[in-house]
Amino acid sequence: MARDLDYEPSAPKTIKKSTGTKVFEAIAYTLLILGSIICVLPFIIIVSGSFTDNATILTQGYSLLPRDFTLSAYQTIFKSPKDILQAYKMTLYYTVVGTGLGLMMITLTGYVISRKEFKYRNTVSFLIYFTSIFGGGMIPWYLMYANVLGLKGSTLAIWFPALMSPFLVILMRTFIVGAVPDAITESAKIDGAGHFTIFFRIVLPVLKPGLATVGLFLALGYWNDWYRSSMFSTNSSTWQLQFYLYDLLNATTAMKQMASNVSMKTADLPTESVKLAMAVVATGPVLLFYPFVQRFFVSGITVGAVKG
Amino acid sequence: MRNKWISGISAVCLILALPFFNWIKVVNLVALFSRIGVTKDMAKDLLTGYNLYNLLSFVQYANQGVLGLFAMVLLILTAAAIYFNVAFIIRSLLGIKKGKGELSLLAAGKCAFLFEFLTAAATIAFVIFSNAKFKMTGFLPGAVVYIELVISIAAYIYIKILEKKERDKYREHGLWVELKRNWVLFVMLIPTFVYFMINNYLPMLGVYFAFTSFNFRDGLWSSPFTGFKNFEFLIKADLFRLTKNTVLYNVVFIGIGNILQIFFAILVSRVTVKWFKKTSQTLMFMPYFVSFVILKVIVYNVFEYQYGLINNLVTQMGGERIDFYNNPSYWPFLITFFYLWKNIGYGMVVYLATIMGIDNEIYEAARVDGANELQQIWYITLPHIKPTFIILLLYALGSIMKGQFELFYQLIGNNGVLFNATDIFDTYVYRITMTQPLSIGLGTAAGLYQSLFGFLIIVLVNYIVKKRNPEYALF
Repeated sequence: MARDLDYEPSAPKTIKKSTGTKVFEAIAYTLLILGSIICVLPFIIIVSGSFTDNATILTQGYSLLPRDFTLSAYQTIFKSPKDILQAYKMTLYYTVVGTGLGLMMITLTGYVISRKEFKYRNTVSFLIYFTSIFGGGMIPWYLMYANVLGLKGSTLAIWFPALMSPFLVILMRTFIVGAVPDAITESAKIDGAGHFTIFFRIVLPVLKPGLATVGLFLALGYWNDWYRSSMFSTNSSTWQLQFYLYDLLNATTAMKQMASNVSMKTADLPTESVKLAMAVVATGPVLLFYPFVQRFFVSGITVGAVKG
Repeated sequence: MRNKWISGISAVCLILALPFFNWIKVVNLVALFSRIGVTKDMAKDLLTGYNLYNLLSFVQYANQGVLGLFAMVLLILTAAAIYFNVAFIIRSLLGIKKGKGELSLLAAGKCAFLFEFLTAAATIAFVIFSNAKFKMTGFLPGAVVYIELVISIAAYIYIKILEKKERDKYREHGLWVELKRNWVLFVMLIPTFVYFMINNYLPMLGVYFAFTSFNFRDGLWSSPFTGFKNFEFLIKADLFRLTKNTVLYNVVFIGIGNILQIFFAILVSRVTVKWFKKTSQTLMFMPYFVSFVILKVIVYNVFEYQYGLINNLVTQMGGERIDFYNNPSYWPFLITFFYLWKNIGYGMVVYLATIMGIDNEIYEAARVDGANELQQIWYITLPHIKPTFIILLLYALGSIMKGQFELFYQLIGNNGVLFNATDIFDTYVYRITMTQPLSIGLGTAAGLYQSLFGFLIIVLVNYIVKKRNPEYALF
């Protein structure tokens, strides 16, 4: 499991801090504040831009704090929310189906390759790991789904390819090995329990942190993905949310270039502030949940970094 | 003694598989050539018999994509057969044994003969298949093929018997017993098997397209086989630039990335105020969670020519606007910066966990001895995170040929002005996939080169690491 990151190695309060230590700490605090600001600043720009009147952006450019505060961008989005709601709905669908199925498959695999009595556990692990060091490349992969299986335009092609990853399988195995001592499964077997019984009744109940971590990694991947839509979607009704946003950005950029070429009015295009508001809407759920689920990602990364 | 015997047989099989013997005989030479439309001056390049190595040259003349695929599979099988035979002979002569008794050695032997058998069987299948394709008896398998077939089957059965005895001795069991005993575990693996087959292993066969020139009339499976033409074109055109860009960007990412991650992890670990520690970690980890499309929004809004934040500030201070999107020289820095922006938090978490695992008493002792903060970091913290650093470095080196596709594609997109400084393998192949179906062969060739080169680097790095310190080896 993850080590406690709140544990403090620094000087106990009883020892008086030297000047060197004080200077060092001052520098550390400054740099950390600076780093944090750089990491957060872009988010602030987006959010404040989405609340700024479009005319202000056009005349004065983007700024850090909203000038001429207005909700008009959000009102524009939710006046005709059909498209964005469809993209939201599809993304939710991909995320739920993909995370559910993927989590099940990953957990089963992790269980199998953690069983000491399974003779081929190392072979299976290696075959899974091997896919991360060698592959046929993007085009054979694409042709497999689009031409061989004929899934172009199908929603299956969007959620299926991201069901599993070697990293998550190995991570899950590490979680299972850590959570379920061999002695418990051994005694269950002696009592006559089969593998499915052991898996559902003994392993799953104690695996909640592992399930949460791997599930969140999967869900984040699904939520943030755009490029499977760009490859396999033939109809905008199956688009992922991020691809919807991407398309919106590209379309307006292209149209703006055209408009400037033939000196046409750009009033009908999605305005800058609408685009920013769309970005806020698309990434909102992730940032909303982030503070609560952060610790699962931390534990996942920490466990995953330990060689499995 | 028995092993020497079997390795002798293996050596015979090996020699038979070398290019001295023609595995496929051409009968009805004239009829066959006229059927595939070979003219007189080409005919002198064609042979009356083929081994598995020059078969591809025939396929190239025959202009038959499917035969090309088949010949490729044959060549791969031959290569595998030779590899496993050589490995087996070396192991049995040197007496290298792992695990229980001779079981691993016998397994290697089984593998060697299995592939000899597969090669021979596939050759016969190739002959039958191509005869059916040309609707005439153009080919016959050579006698060598039948000899190989018989020898490999006999040797395989012999090893199987030896293995049975050996297994009884060590109470080991084979695949069938394992299947019977643990069939539930195999059932549990079925979805995973299907997934990795479809998503990873079957597409590997598709590298065949790298050796064809795609056209719509013949379709994917019958487009003409062109040998290494795609690779030749690639070497002339883009290969050097793509390799340079991909490797250089990754080296910079790995280098600066790790340094900054360690740096900030140390800073966070030395902070005593609990809430500050937590908040700064949370904030710096946050960019990892947004999608690259959002990153595109951010970068566009900051660096856009007319309304962008930077240009806004520049003009306010009385400067000239900077046209970022038409000037390649800025982008290596911008891409690196946003890579770091997105990934600092991730690596920081890893290093922070390692630092937190260091025993506090070591610091106490150092403090008592009068070590200052920098000395503590230099002599205690850094040596302790060295193993983590090496592991992360090895992982990163393994993917040095892979790009940060989403990062590059979202920041640069289809902006051709910037390609020279920003095109990497993944973006190049993606563009071909989406917009130039006639270059599928070229794109696959680029992808195959990328995969193989990356794979070789991993194997090499892993080999060196394993020799020096097996604990750090990846596999």
